[in-house]
Amino acid sequence: MDSGLRLSLYRTMVLIRVFEEAILREYHADKRPAFDIGAGLVPGEMHLSAGQEPVAAGVCAHLTAGDAVTATHRPHHLAIAHGVNLDRLAAEIFGRETGLGRGRGGHMHLFDPDTHFSCSGIIAEGYPPALGQAFAFHRQGTDRVAVAVTGEGAANQGAFHESLNLAALWRLPVVFVVEDNDWGISVPRSASTCVTSNAIRAAGYDMPGERVEDNSVEAVYEAAGRAVARARAGEGPSLLEVHTLRMWGHFEGDAQAYRTDLEGVPGRDPIATYEHALRSAGLLDDGQVKTVNEDAVARVEAAIAFAKSSPEPAPETATEYVFA
Amino acid sequence: MTEVLFPQLSDEDPNGEGVLATWFVEDGATVAGGELIAEVMVGKVTSEVHAPAGGAIHLAVHEDDVVRQRTVIATIS
Amino acid sequence: MTTTETPATTAPAPTASGRRLTTAKAMVEGIAQEMERDPSVFYLGEDVGAYGGIFSSTTGLLERFGPDRVMDTPISESAFLGLATGAAVEGMRPIAELMFVDFFGVCMDQLYNHMAKIHYESGGNVRVPMVVTTAVGGGYSDGAQHSQCLWGTFAHLPGMKVVVPSTPYDAKGLITAAIRDDNPVVYMFHKGVMGLPWMAKNPRATGPVPEEPYEVPIGKAAVVREGRDATVVTVSLSVHHALDVADELAADGIDLEVVDLRSLKPLDRETVLVSVAKTGRLLVVDEDYLSYGLSGEIAATVAETDPGLLRSPVRRVAVPDVPIPYAHPLEYAVLPTRDRIREAVHQLVRA
Repeated sequence: MDSGLRLSLYRTMVLIRVFEEAILREYHADKRPAFDIGAGLVPGEMHLSAGQEPVAAGVCAHLTAGDAVTATHRPHHLAIAHGVNLDRLAAEIFGRETGLGRGRGGHMHLFDPDTHFSCSGIIAEGYPPALGQAFAFHRQGTDRVAVAVTGEGAANQGAFHESLNLAALWRLPVVFVVEDNDWGISVPRSASTCVTSNAIRAAGYDMPGERVEDNSVEAVYEAAGRAVARARAGEGPSLLEVHTLRMWGHFEGDAQAYRTDLEGVPGRDPIATYEHALRSAGLLDDGQVKTVNEDAVARVEAAIAFAKSSPEPAPETATEYVFA
Repeated sequence: MTEVLFPQLSDEDPNGEGVLATWFVEDGATVAGGELIAEVMVGKVTSEVHAPAGGAIHLAVHEDDVVRQRTVIATIS
Repeated sequence: MTTTETPATTAPAPTASGRRLTTAKAMVEGIAQEMERDPSVFYLGEDVGAYGGIFSSTTGLLERFGPDRVMDTPISESAFLGLATGAAVEGMRPIAELMFVDFFGVCMDQLYNHMAKIHYESGGNVRVPMVVTTAVGGGYSDGAQHSQCLWGTFAHLPGMKVVVPSTPYDAKGLITAAIRDDNPVVYMFHKGVMGLPWMAKNPRATGPVPEEPYEVPIGKAAVVREGRDATVVTVSLSVHHALDVADELAADGIDLEVVDLRSLKPLDRETVLVSVAKTGRLLVVDEDYLSYGLSGEIAATVAETDPGLLRSPVRRVAVPDVPIPYAHPLEYAVLPTRDRIREAVHQLVRA
C-alpha cells in the first residue's frame, strides 16, 4: 500500500481519537462530583467511538464529499473521516447556535448537507434513508454511493433486513457497513445474533458479504474499496462487517460491569497497533508521531474553543425550523 | 343520434350483467366528444366510459342500476 | 380576537365545462400533472403500479409515466418510506404510499423520527419535500386493523403537515399543494370519499374539478355550508354526513354551519373560532378515536381562547375508544353516522 495513503489513514485515526478524548474530557469536566447526565456544557447521552477508528478511516478514504454516509448514535469517527467541518461538529455537540443543527440535533442527530452526512439515534433506521440517497444519486446520473453504517445489534432489526432486500432488488449503489464491536450495550453478539458473522446474511440478500476480523485499517480499506467500486460500477450493494473494538462504555457513564473483556482492551488499541506497524515499516518515528498528535490536538482544541465561544440558541427560537 | 353502450368487460360472459357505478354528467347536459361520462363495473373490473360524440346526453339508466353488457345506457343527440 | 373576519374560502364555482370527477380520479389527475411538470416527482408503494393502487390512487400512472417513476415496492414499509426520505433529502420529490394508515406501526419510526424531524434537527439545513399518501376510514366491515383514521396521531407529532381532503376539488388541490410543499406532508384520503365503484359512496364523492393545475392552500379550512344555529367542525367523509344532516334539519328550521377543516396540521383555528363566535354552539364530528385527539383539540381551542363564546357545552361525535368492530351493526354503532350527528345537534340546540 502506498506510504502516503498509510500515513493518511494513520492521521485520520489520530484526529478521531484526539477529538473523542477531548469530548470525553469536556463531557465529564462539569458532571462532578456525582454524575448528572443532564448537567454541564455537553449534556445528555454521549457515545464515543474510540477503538472504531479503522472503520471510519478505511471506508471513508474511498469517498468524496458527494458520497453519502449515514451513521448511528456513535457517529463522530465517521463524521470526521468523511470530512464534516470540525468546528460545526463540535459546536453542535455543545448545543450552540453555530452547530450543524443550530443546537437542535445534538450529538446523535448530526446533519451536514455539504458532505451528505447524517446520523440517527434509532437502531438500524439509518439504512433506509441511505437507500434513498443512493436512489437519487443514480437517478441524477452520477456514480456517487451511499455508505450506511450500523452496529452488529442493528442486524437483528427489521429495517436492516428490509433495506438489504430492497437495495439488492433495485441494485442501489449502497455499501452496508456493520461495526461489530461485540456489544449491544451490555449484550454480547453471541446472545443476540443467530449467526457468527453478518457477512453470512449477505448471501440471503443476494449480495457479497465480507468480514474483516482484526480491526485492521488496511484490511478495512481493501474490503471497502471492493464494495465501493462495485456500487459505483452499478453492480449493486455489498455488506462489509468489521470486527472492531469499543474501547470505552456504550455511553459515557456506563460502568461496564457486565464486560468480561475489559482487561484485554488496551492491548487491542488499533491506533497503537497501526503505529507500531508503521514504525516497523520505517514510515513513522518519534518526531513524526509527535507532530501528527500535535496537529490533531491543535485542530481539535480550536474546534472546542470555537464551540465554547459560540452563543447558545435563544430560548424564544425553540419552535423555529419545524417547517421550511 | 349516437347510442352509448355499456362496454363488454367480460369475455367469458359477454351477455352478463354489470353495474352503472357513477354518472359524471347529468341528464340533459351537453357533453364533448371524448369527455368522461360514466364509470361501470362488471364483477371487479371497472371501466371508464367516454362520450363517443358531442351533444346533449340523455341518460337511460340510473346510478347503481344493474345493466347488461352492450346495452344502451345513454344517447347523445 | 375579532369576530368580523370573512369566513374561509369555499370551493370556487365549477369551471365552465362543469367537468366532474370522483375524488380518486381528481387525486390521480393532480399527481399526474405534477409528475408531468416536475421530473423529480415519483410515486412508490405497494400495488401502485399495474394495479393502480388498491383504492385507485394511482390508476393509469404507470401506463403514462413508466416503471421508473411509478414503482411497486416489496412489503417493506420501513425501507421504502425511509428510501423516500433519503431521496427527498437529495432533492427529489417522492410520493410514498402507506397502503392503509393502520400499517403505520411497522414503519412509524421512519415517519415521525426521521421524515418529520430531520428539518428541525438540522436547524433548517436539510429539507424533506416528500408526501406520504395513505388510505383511511371504515364503514365497509374491514375490521379493527383496516378501518382506522388515526389523523389525530399524525397531527399530534411535530414536523409533518397533515391534510385530509373530502371532495374531488380539494383532493386535487391538496395533493398538488402537498407535492409542491418543501415539507413532509401526510395526505390522508378516506376510502369512502374516493367514489370507488365497489364501495358504497356518498354522491358528494363526485364533483366539479378544474382541468388546469391548481392548489388548495394547506392550513386553511373551508366553510362549506353557512349557518346561524350551530357550528359543525369536521373532516373527511364526516363532512358529507354533516351536510346531509344539515339539509334534513333545514326543514326543521335548524340552520347548521359546517366547517371542513381540510388540514389538521397546520390547523386553521381562526376559522373555527369565527364560526363559533357567530353560532355559539359547537359540535365536532371526528371518525378518529374520541379521546386524546382532534375533537379534543378543537374543544380546547375554543376553551382556551374564549369559553364565553359557547351558549352550551361542546359536543363531540367520534369513535368511542374501541377497536372498530367487524359486524355491520356494531361497526355502525361506533362510527359517526348521520343518526349520531342528528341526535347530537338536537341535544346541542336544546341545551
